[in-house]
Amino acid sequence: MSSDISKIRNIGISAHIDSGKTTLTERILFYTQRIHAIHDVKGKDGVGATMDHMELERERGITITSAATHVEWNDHHINIIDTPGHVDFTIEVERSLQVLDGAVLVLCAVAGVQSQSITVDRQMKRYKVPRIAFVNKCDRSGANPERVTNALSDKLGHNAVLLQLPIGLEADFDGVVDLVEMRAIYFRGDNGEQIEIGEIPAELRDEADERHAELLDAASMFSDELMEAALEDAATPELIHEAVRAGVLSLELTPVFIGSAYKNKGVQPLMDAVTRYLPSPLDVPIEAIDLDQDGAAVELQPDPDAQTVAYAFKLDEGRYGQLTFLRIYQGTLRKGDTVIQTRTRKKIKIGRVVRMHADKMEDIEAATAGDIVGLFGIDCHTGDTFTGIGPRINMTSMYVPDPVISLSVHPVDSKAQDNMSKALSRFTKEDPTFQVRLDAESNETIISGMGELHLDVYVERMKREYSAEVETGAPQVAYREAISRRADFDYLHKKQTGGSGQYAKVVGYIEPSDEGEYEFVDEIRGGRIPTEYIPACDKGFRASLDKGALIGFPVVGVKAVLTDGNSHAVDSSDMAFMTASRMAFREAYKKAKPRILEPVMRVSVEGPGEFQGTIYKSLMQRRGTVLGSTEDAGFARVDADVPLAEMFGYSTDLRSGTQGKAEFTMEFSKYAPAPAEVSEELLTKYKSNISDEEDA
Amino acid sequence: MTDLISLRRSPRTLLERDGHPGPGPGKLGLVMARAGVGKTAVLTSIGVDALLSGQKVLHISIERTIDKVREWYDEKLVEMLKHNKKLEHLSVLQLAMERNRHIHTFVGQSFSVDRIRHTIELLGDAMEFVPAVIILDRTEYTELNPSSIADLKEVAAEIGAEIWMACRTHRDGPQAEPGHLPPPADSFEDLVDAAFSLVPQDAKIRLHVIKDQDQMVGKDLNILLDPQTLLLVTGVTAKK
Repeated sequence: MSSDISKIRNIGISAHIDSGKTTLTERILFYTQRIHAIHDVKGKDGVGATMDHMELERERGITITSAATHVEWNDHHINIIDTPGHVDFTIEVERSLQVLDGAVLVLCAVAGVQSQSITVDRQMKRYKVPRIAFVNKCDRSGANPERVTNALSDKLGHNAVLLQLPIGLEADFDGVVDLVEMRAIYFRGDNGEQIEIGEIPAELRDEADERHAELLDAASMFSDELMEAALEDAATPELIHEAVRAGVLSLELTPVFIGSAYKNKGVQPLMDAVTRYLPSPLDVPIEAIDLDQDGAAVELQPDPDAQTVAYAFKLDEGRYGQLTFLRIYQGTLRKGDTVIQTRTRKKIKIGRVVRMHADKMEDIEAATAGDIVGLFGIDCHTGDTFTGIGPRINMTSMYVPDPVISLSVHPVDSKAQDNMSKALSRFTKEDPTFQVRLDAESNETIISGMGELHLDVYVERMKREYSAEVETGAPQVAYREAISRRADFDYLHKKQTGGSGQYAKVVGYIEPSDEGEYEFVDEIRGGRIPTEYIPACDKGFRASLDKGALIGFPVVGVKAVLTDGNSHAVDSSDMAFMTASRMAFREAYKKAKPRILEPVMRVSVEGPGEFQGTIYKSLMQRRGTVLGSTEDAGFARVDADVPLAEMFGYSTDLRSGTQGKAEFTMEFSKYAPAPAEVSEELLTKYKSNISDEEDA
Repeated sequence: MTDLISLRRSPRTLLERDGHPGPGPGKLGLVMARAGVGKTAVLTSIGVDALLSGQKVLHISIERTIDKVREWYDEKLVEMLKHNKKLEHLSVLQLAMERNRHIHTFVGQSFSVDRIRHTIELLGDAMEFVPAVIILDRTEYTELNPSSIADLKEVAAEIGAEIWMACRTHRDGPQAEPGHLPPPADSFEDLVDAAFSLVPQDAKIRLHVIKDQDQMVGKDLNILLDPQTLLLVTGVTAKK
């Protein structure tokens, strides 16, 4: 491979389910000669596309976990991260976006910009990922790449510009007009591997001239040189490429390419565009934090000779043990080198360094900054940073949404119990949004995640990959509790009735924290509470947050401030101060007007315009706050914030209310106070559960 | 909850009368300026103003995303809260605003009175959402003519809503005749009940109230807007 960092591209391919991104990836692998035969998702040959390497994915025909692979094209080294298409796996998308430098947004030429594309695009904006668009399925009946390009501008707010025109459409789709070089490109041979360049068909000449002029207008906004050349009618393809690249890198221009991956058309020019327009690691500033400097921000340099910094963004259980996917941000990773895991400070010797091609791999000796590789034999979690000797650098932690739904799981026998433990330990390492806990009271194992489908898939994987047969309980919403005003406490914990006594007094207040996180502030002056007991107070308050007094869910957003207290020379201890703090919290919590928070999801529903009223009603009935609606060529999209508790069964209701013509996506939006009647219901239920348990 | 009325800093406050926070039901207000001066920002501030006055707002736009319009409202609210040092109320007020506001965008098509009527009916029937203020953003890009504007006023009057629209004027175009609105608004000035014009001057934006209570305003109030936020600069008026 080339060691020139400017020739590395780390890209993702993101899209709505069924837009054909797995087929597109498969074709890319074929044209770059990483595979020698083409298979399709749900392929008739029973083989399945190469990137969908998990059995479950093959069965469902959707991509569930990311798989990384590398290809070479035009002397460039391209790492492709295939991202999942379902929003319930949003952490997979977010992980990918963290390590990507650019992305291809695949859109269906018939269905256009669908709800999933909107969600993924929102995530890409959050991570400032430059993107190019590929309008796929131009061979399908109803294909209209121009409408899709307009929708990119109108629905997603992109400055989208066509770089190609279709030669024929639907069954007559034959090739594309390249609006930069002003030529026709055809894809011949059994698999479209032979590129044939020709004149622009006469009937498309006028339109091509017009679109070329539009392209020059759009691109020249990013290059004075191109603007001047265009005025003198002397714009060259090189100048246009440079200007388009500048526009893409500034996130202000989205060039649109067209084709049909299934019919083997348009893929090679798209690959040219990836190398031409998407950024190399040199183009993207990377910020990390220096733990030795109190978390100060440091900018990393993609310099192969600098201190190594690499970030584990994905774990995979392979035939040879755990495979960890890393993005190297700085320095070089060599087989035999020793690196330090920032979180644990453990030294780790690098055994095998591999380059992945879906489920096949190639051993390599070393990889440099900007690259993505796999390592075997290191024990770590997703999100861990590894460095060479030097400052303790940690990559800025990625945004991890809180789990919003939980489910109890019961193994059916002792064999299943062992296997379930192995599976859960594996999944929690792989996926930070999947969490496991043991409920102390019911002794049940509770799994939590980002949605029903998210948990369903893990339950399925337990069965298939670990032979862990489990029964599941009903899904439960992950509520939170929070205080809404300041309340003072003054608590004396005293037991001095013989033997070793306990004495601790704490005075202070709790109030809602600004950042929504737990905060502990020590304002004790004059040693009223000896310094050695302060951590015990912090621990006492922290322990109180695990289970709120209202409905037993965790308490969030509390600032506990200790202003005064007292201690006893003999009877005070850590235990006494922990107990005093817990009791003080309990006392103050009631006065601090606690309330229940519920997870609220951002829901986007899309369907034919005639069902707009039905969609509104369906959301209102579920306590939704409708944020807005969009009308587009007979279709309507409605965006709303809806409490998760109301979303169970929505899919079925929406289908039946709209004759199966509307669809929706949702992602976690925020925690919001539950309305009084909902809170009342939850309180009653909680109290009745407690009294049932007491009776039992 | 904070005193919402005290947060209002939109030019609409200059037009309140008879206990009503704006020109009133069935009335049409116009914001006129050259391209890029800030018509949309002023329209958004009028939307926030109505929400703070406890009114429901329907914000209609073309070729804008819902997220974009929401961002503008949030920015205006943040400005108003910052100005009054009440930023701690932001999340509660944002939620209240969302419940009383509906953003409706048309993609790849212009406004038509029929579409707007249909949207209003749908919102009323399905969500019992009846706006008191309708904001039509980017009307300068549409083909609304005097007769459709009259139809629109009728639709608004039926539900008791006030309408606000933008109108783009041209630097090199014909100037206003004395006692009339500048072109192209002069062609439908009888339908306009209130009008502002925005004029950039020395890195500031000067706001002129040129029509109020169905009458052309002879005396210019000469108000300054903050050039960053397009909100009223409290306590500061320009020298005449």
